[in-house]
Amino acid sequence: MSKKIGVYICRCGCNISDYVDVEKVRASAEKEADVVLAKTMVFACADSSQKEIINDIQNGVINSFVIASCSPKLHLPTFQAVAERAGLNKYEYVHANIREQASWAHSDDKEGATAKAVQLVRAAIAKVRFATAIEPIEIQTQQAVLVIGAGVAGMKAATSLAKMGVKVYLIEKEHFIGGRVAQWDVLCLTEETGKDLVTRFYNDVVMDKDITLFTGAELIESSGSKGNFKVKIKITPRYIKDFCEKEKMRRAIEVCPVEVIDDFNFSITKRKAIYHNFPSQYPLVAVIDMKNCTRCGKCEKECDKIDFSQKEKIIEIDVGSILVATGFDPYTPRKGEFGYEEYDNVITLPQFKRLVAINDKELKWNGRQVKTIAYIYCVGSRQLEGENKYCSRYCCSTTICAAIKAGEKFHDLSHFHFTRGIRTYGKQEMFFYEASKQGQVFLQSFEDEPPRVMRKNDRTIVCINDILTNRREIEVDADLVVLVTGMVPRSHGRISEILKLPRGRDRFFNEIHMKLRPVETVIDGVTIAGACQGPQNVVEAINSALSAAIKSYSFVSRDTLQVEPIVAEIDAGLCTWCGACAKACPFDAVTQINLEGKEIASVNMTVCKGCGMCLPVCPVNAIQLKTFSDDEVEKMIGVLAQEL
Amino acid sequence: MAAVEKLSFDVLVVGGGIAGIETAINLGNNGLNVLLVEKDLTLGGKMIMLSKVFPTLDCGACITTPKISEVARHPNVTIFTNTVIKSIKKQDMHYFKSLLVRNPRYVIESACTGCQLCEMACPVVVPDQYQYEMVGRKAAYIPFSIACPRVAAIDIEHCTLCGACERVCPPKCIDFTQEPIEFQVIIKAVIIATGFNLFDPAQIKRFQYGQAKNIITAMQMERLLAPTRPYNHVLRPGDGKIPDKIAYVLCVGSRDRTVNNPICSQICCMYSIKQAQLLMGALPMADVTIYYINIRSYGKGFEEFYEQAKGMGVNFIKGKVGTISEKENGSLILRYEDICTGKLKEAEHDLVVLSAGVLANQDATGFFSDDRWEKDEFHFARQNDLFFNPALSSIEGVFLAGTTYGPMDIPDTILSAGAASMEAIRYIKQMALKI
Repeated sequence: MSKKIGVYICRCGCNISDYVDVEKVRASAEKEADVVLAKTMVFACADSSQKEIINDIQNGVINSFVIASCSPKLHLPTFQAVAERAGLNKYEYVHANIREQASWAHSDDKEGATAKAVQLVRAAIAKVRFATAIEPIEIQTQQAVLVIGAGVAGMKAATSLAKMGVKVYLIEKEHFIGGRVAQWDVLCLTEETGKDLVTRFYNDVVMDKDITLFTGAELIESSGSKGNFKVKIKITPRYIKDFCEKEKMRRAIEVCPVEVIDDFNFSITKRKAIYHNFPSQYPLVAVIDMKNCTRCGKCEKECDKIDFSQKEKIIEIDVGSILVATGFDPYTPRKGEFGYEEYDNVITLPQFKRLVAINDKELKWNGRQVKTIAYIYCVGSRQLEGENKYCSRYCCSTTICAAIKAGEKFHDLSHFHFTRGIRTYGKQEMFFYEASKQGQVFLQSFEDEPPRVMRKNDRTIVCINDILTNRREIEVDADLVVLVTGMVPRSHGRISEILKLPRGRDRFFNEIHMKLRPVETVIDGVTIAGACQGPQNVVEAINSALSAAIKSYSFVSRDTLQVEPIVAEIDAGLCTWCGACAKACPFDAVTQINLEGKEIASVNMTVCKGCGMCLPVCPVNAIQLKTFSDDEVEKMIGVLAQEL
Repeated sequence: MAAVEKLSFDVLVVGGGIAGIETAINLGNNGLNVLLVEKDLTLGGKMIMLSKVFPTLDCGACITTPKISEVARHPNVTIFTNTVIKSIKKQDMHYFKSLLVRNPRYVIESACTGCQLCEMACPVVVPDQYQYEMVGRKAAYIPFSIACPRVAAIDIEHCTLCGACERVCPPKCIDFTQEPIEFQVIIKAVIIATGFNLFDPAQIKRFQYGQAKNIITAMQMERLLAPTRPYNHVLRPGDGKIPDKIAYVLCVGSRDRTVNNPICSQICCMYSIKQAQLLMGALPMADVTIYYINIRSYGKGFEEFYEQAKGMGVNFIKGKVGTISEKENGSLILRYEDICTGKLKEAEHDLVVLSAGVLANQDATGFFSDDRWEKDEFHFARQNDLFFNPALSSIEGVFLAGTTYGPMDIPDTILSAGAASMEAIRYIKQMALKI
């Protein structure tokens, strides 16, 4: 069938047509061989334009087409769908990017931008002449999802997926579930404590027979693609058997002679080498921290469920989608940052929240009563010098809430907030109002003059040049200085490398599109939820978890899934197996096989991402990438190199 | 009124803005039959009106239209535009019954080709609500070029019944005999995605909005900067002059007890910073000043975007504007407290943009009479279990998406729509087990 090519040039409102003479581009395209139709459109992506293209195809005017518009990252799927709805194969359409690559890149040079657009469109026409129908690769899906991280986001995602009838494997690196929320006593907007909330989530998790929970579990390997991932999980034992009697456990903990820093309380207390975080922390069985255990055997004498023979296990599971909800770590200030680790009464916000939770009648720090508290905001966030340029979003509200709740629990506290402008966005503004009404004092520093923490006569003084009182120097003699530390991504070992998940400049996981696809990633089949994507509060994390769950569900809800057929193909006649392609492949898609007595390379089509890394390293040119054959690329380069 | 038509669907989604669209797509993709109802003539809500979005600076139309197109052609989604909800009532444990009225366009939707000849022929000009009244439109009109459906409608309130449109319409699809059609719809779950209203700055008399000619709202500035802009340039409306000293006044109608809206609107700082950046591009010689109380650039990439604006030369002044007065030449004097120096100051600008806040759209209150539809103290829908099921309303089976329950930006709206969809599907599955 001879090619009848249609060329549609988008004005993108004026995003393109302000700098590119689209009429010139159209006129040039029209002159190309095989082009039977060339049109400009206000918005090619608009529904009415899509209908127009479909009509042109269905009326037999064209049988392949070029869209010259914005980046294919934005609209390739849109126009592929147009092709399919009109009865063409989606590979019978080729995209030319004349917005990001012409109009926006050369807004200072209209003629140049137009000339470049003309070239790009001609190259696309050269490519579409080769276009043939290609059928997608179909794979059987595993109707199971791996959820990484059993904080509130992970647990919510797991229970929602399970309720849809999906098998869920929920893995948690720690030995107890609940993540950061378990550590919060006070939550904004509710009387419920973090502990209570986590308990509700946990009850949902354990009651669901479709959820398998592994604690002390880490992802160590992953292969495959959307619909069919093979993952390996390493599980560290608790060294204690299930169904241990409460009293025996209590005694076992009591007799343990080893004391180490308690991470759950952010190092403000100590715990034993055999421990649980708080009496109702789930799972209810304690755990032995083998890094610190001296094997003295005292606990074994008290409790018969202790079992040092338990071994580390590695299990393999097949899932159709992976949902990552690894959460955040609080920023750890540098030694000396606002007096941290220099003065004994300078602590972080998470430590303060634990301190308020574990103190009962009086608020005490290091044995001394606390009356005046200074809060220094934006520690580790909005850094002018450091690498955390971002705002951590939750800290303003959570600090003010913590201050209000601390004031309710312990009377006669004075609060001084050293802020950089309060960001209690939305309804959270009411906390700011409430705290101000209570007489809590809010001060604001100049951007280039952060507050200073110093020692005077054995007292800790916080000093500020305050914006709100016309640069007056104000000193506060504080019993306790709380550094309002922001969020950094939780140290999640090698998850980013294993799943090949890209991270942003802020080191949080990157979504596909910040606005419209915030929980999907460039790795098909892998979704992200909660604070591993960026700072979020609890409600936002739950919304994000549910959104990620529905996206993960779409990868496992059907028996089969289609994957892109743009993969590398080995010419068995030419290949002499040298292994160079296998080494170059970042996805481990190439393996050595024996074909009728000859050793050659073979590409696993469901794993190959069509990146093309293997092509240039092949010494005998035995590899071709579908839709990007040497012929096609050479013709395109030929056109681009031609003088106009 | 014509006889009542009876229909049934799995889910009724109320509101055809980005929240409703995203929800309908999510539900449709998972095999549910959805009725998406929009009271306006076109889908797209507020998002389709935006020039660009922060902090990615994607063109608003470019990223909304594919979503609209996806929902419009979705086999599992039926769309009713120009349709209002009369009532939603729970029938029993499993079903809701809703009465809808589809108002006439006076144009046969299936026959209209969108040729716009009627628009050209119509002699009546009225202010164009889609350009926030900065230019006119006809009484026979297509809302805007990327409207969906891209079908004409007759604004019967202003139409003089002269018949000019009827005479020029090639497919003869103008039909003045159309009447409202009532539908009775049975559904299993409801999603409320009715969005928000913008605060009307005319309520604050000292700002002179509506009095002084060169004071506009930020939404009007969105239109001036959009690809489908009314003047093809940023001009001040009073005299068409290209402005060169532009002021933004933040927190207009937000964080303001005098107008009964004490909360922060969550999006104004960022959209103002975005517009300031776009203005620096459109009018390289112009000065842009933003008067603020606190800059709330809290989301992913926001703080960096704020820093970028400062780097581009946008002038940020911490201080609340007290009064705005108009000079004879149309320029404006802003009287404000400069907090950094503690002094009262005055500054002259030739265009003032009021960053109007977000108010609850309370349409849903009228839908429910028998069931307990609860609102919070700011009139947004109440979330029944904030931390556990943020999408759940006070009525079982009715879920919330987007700004229905509070101010939020587009990413948060997308997440809330995801949550509402997931919860609705789960609810329907569980209900099915109980039968």
